[in-house]
Amino acid sequence: MSTKTFRGGAHPPERKHRTEELPIEYLTQVKEVVIPVNQHFGAPIQPLVKAGDQVKRGQKIADAEGRMTVPVHASIAGVVKKIEPRLQSNNLEGLAVVIEADGSGAEDFMPPLDGFSCGKDEALARIREAGIIGMGGAGFPAHVKLAPPPNKPIDLVIANAAECEPYLTIDERMMAEKPTDLVEGMAIVMRVLGVAKGVIGLEDNKAHHLDALEAAIKAAARGADITVQLLKTKYPQGGEKMLITALTGKEVPSGGLPMDVGCVVQNVGTFCAIAEAFRLGKPLIDRGFTVSGGACKTPKNLVVPVGTVVSALVPEHIQLDEEAVRRVIYGGPMMGPSLPSWAVPVQKNTSGVLFLDASEAKVYAEGPCLRCGRCMKACSCRLSPALLNVSIKANDLAEAEEIGLLDCIECGTCSFVCPSHIQLVQRFRVGKQLLRAKKQKEAQRAGK
Amino acid sequence: MPANNLLLSSSPNAFTGVDSRKIMMAVVIALLPTTVYGVVLYGVPALLVILTSVASAVAAEAAFRALIKQDVRVGDLSAVVTGLLVALISPPSLPLWMAALGSVAAIIFAKEFFGGLGANPFNPALIGRAILLMSFPAAMTTWHAPFGALTDATTAATPLNVVKMGGSVADVGMQIAGSSDYGTLLWTLFVGNRSGCIGESSILLILVGFAFLLALRVVNWVTPLAMVGTTFVLSWLLGMDPVFGVLSGGVVFGAVFMATDYASSPITPMGKLIFGAGAGAITAVIRRFGGFPEGVTYGILLMNAVAPFLDKLRVKKYGYVPAPKPAKPAKEAGK
Repeated sequence: MSTKTFRGGAHPPERKHRTEELPIEYLTQVKEVVIPVNQHFGAPIQPLVKAGDQVKRGQKIADAEGRMTVPVHASIAGVVKKIEPRLQSNNLEGLAVVIEADGSGAEDFMPPLDGFSCGKDEALARIREAGIIGMGGAGFPAHVKLAPPPNKPIDLVIANAAECEPYLTIDERMMAEKPTDLVEGMAIVMRVLGVAKGVIGLEDNKAHHLDALEAAIKAAARGADITVQLLKTKYPQGGEKMLITALTGKEVPSGGLPMDVGCVVQNVGTFCAIAEAFRLGKPLIDRGFTVSGGACKTPKNLVVPVGTVVSALVPEHIQLDEEAVRRVIYGGPMMGPSLPSWAVPVQKNTSGVLFLDASEAKVYAEGPCLRCGRCMKACSCRLSPALLNVSIKANDLAEAEEIGLLDCIECGTCSFVCPSHIQLVQRFRVGKQLLRAKKQKEAQRAGK
Repeated sequence: MPANNLLLSSSPNAFTGVDSRKIMMAVVIALLPTTVYGVVLYGVPALLVILTSVASAVAAEAAFRALIKQDVRVGDLSAVVTGLLVALISPPSLPLWMAALGSVAAIIFAKEFFGGLGANPFNPALIGRAILLMSFPAAMTTWHAPFGALTDATTAATPLNVVKMGGSVADVGMQIAGSSDYGTLLWTLFVGNRSGCIGESSILLILVGFAFLLALRVVNWVTPLAMVGTTFVLSWLLGMDPVFGVLSGGVVFGAVFMATDYASSPITPMGKLIFGAGAGAITAVIRRFGGFPEGVTYGILLMNAVAPFLDKLRVKKYGYVPAPKPAKPAKEAGK
């Protein structure tokens, strides 16, 4: 099979070898979970429980009205100890429900639902009620993606199996171990959207899973319209826009969404979660992620209840060389945030927890721009990072906008390739906020 | 429990490993074949010019940055590259103090005055050469035949000089290849057995360096190809021998090592194309109509001045390709 790809990008060292062969370990017994109330991208939701309440595994503990909301469920059975602000994996404090296990293991799942005979609205409601959000990292509500406005016809469902971030192997393991869930989830989504075609975009460093995936597709009752497409192993191949362009040749218009080019993209984990929400009635309460990094002595792929605090897994399940840990990242090293501690819960969108040592977490002083143009070649959005950098430094936000500041997907490839260690994407993040603030101000002034 | 010596910074947390120093080192290595060949051609005097030029460039950068209380960053090797380039585009018999002066001028006037590495609007080595050429026209245009002592007896006009003075290409052949056979002449020029600047003569070795830089993706091929191609075509149109024009003089050296200077050339692909073509065109025009036999220096320097404007020619951004949004007619009208 020929491999497809997009223009630009780079090849960060993959560093997946330590975990890519390791079967997923399932961990259900944890003493305590800290479940952030707001884990999704959208409108905030409110807790439905209070301190002292008895909760069952799978019981809804937070929700709100509104389209861009997704409920959150208790991931273990136990007693709500308190509800208080805690550090989340996005480096901000947010309200979290702390549940202490009572060991009863009581479950409160939804009844199973046949995704192929139920009504469309019923299916969408199930996906929402199961609390499913994009598990690749952004946490976009899944049901919103699956209910596009009528003027945006969808013709392709894409499973994002690129997993282009270094270290991370959880999606790869899910595909290897639960290919039927992936196919089933895709088939349900295709039915909900009324789409006849589905494609799994797989980076060719995982080509050895191709046969197993195709076998699962063949074996599935409703897998006939799903194909697997190999993609060149290149960062950020798993960026939604890059994936769509690689697979279809179309470009998502500036400021637009995948649905503007007839695509719906979900991560492998999201499809698996959707399959479970129908077959088992199980909400998204368990999260698989990769634990790795040079300071981690026991790299592995692990599934834990959402809200499990990583430090509570040390040293029983994760052994660290604590002295050597220099950087803790939730997610992948290219886009994941660095945290000041690993006493932070695993969330629905946590794909990895990395403990980097000094050799992996180097810090460099910013040098002068050579104008070598490496960032321009690497930019997957074909922006001009070097010129953006100049205009933001000069506080010329109008120029920055014209060069495409708001089109930046913040993949970090420019900073990765810069020989002068210039904090390009970092500066663009700040620039974006400044530009948005400026626009808001102008809009207010115009409104007066 | 979590240690308190954790690093916090915005992602990404990975780096290619190719830093400025490695890039400059690659340029130095790419220049080595033609540098060594220059020493082979002209012996110790050429070596002394090279060493003096490099040493004074590094010393000038270090001293100037120390003087203005900035971090001394000679470790990035960019001063080595500038010094080496100044030497390679100088005649081998250049007095050493002039070589030093050229390098110092290149570093201080052309580079540090504008902010140092990456900030120079003009190619520093060419500025150094231009200053020397204006100040010491005689010393900068005294050429010697290869493989001989650099005495008055061995002075020899460069191939372009011979032609400028009304000679024919066949005359050049007699002079440097000892034969009026056109093919022999071209081969001699390609190998570089002729009088000229220390590093410009061997097209073959320059191309070896170019291939090395291309393989490491340090330079692009657009600018050099556009420059040499334009010189070729325009020489032809202006009634000069295009093959001879490309193989003699400094156009290939300039195209590979000068026009690709990061700081003073455009950063966008279309900008690079126009930059190279413009430099090539000016070179050909100067050669045909100008007072100098060679026009590479001014061709590149003049285009350097235009480079910032050429940076406006950016590539189409992702997501803008299908059609411009019809939602912005006001902006179009305002233009």
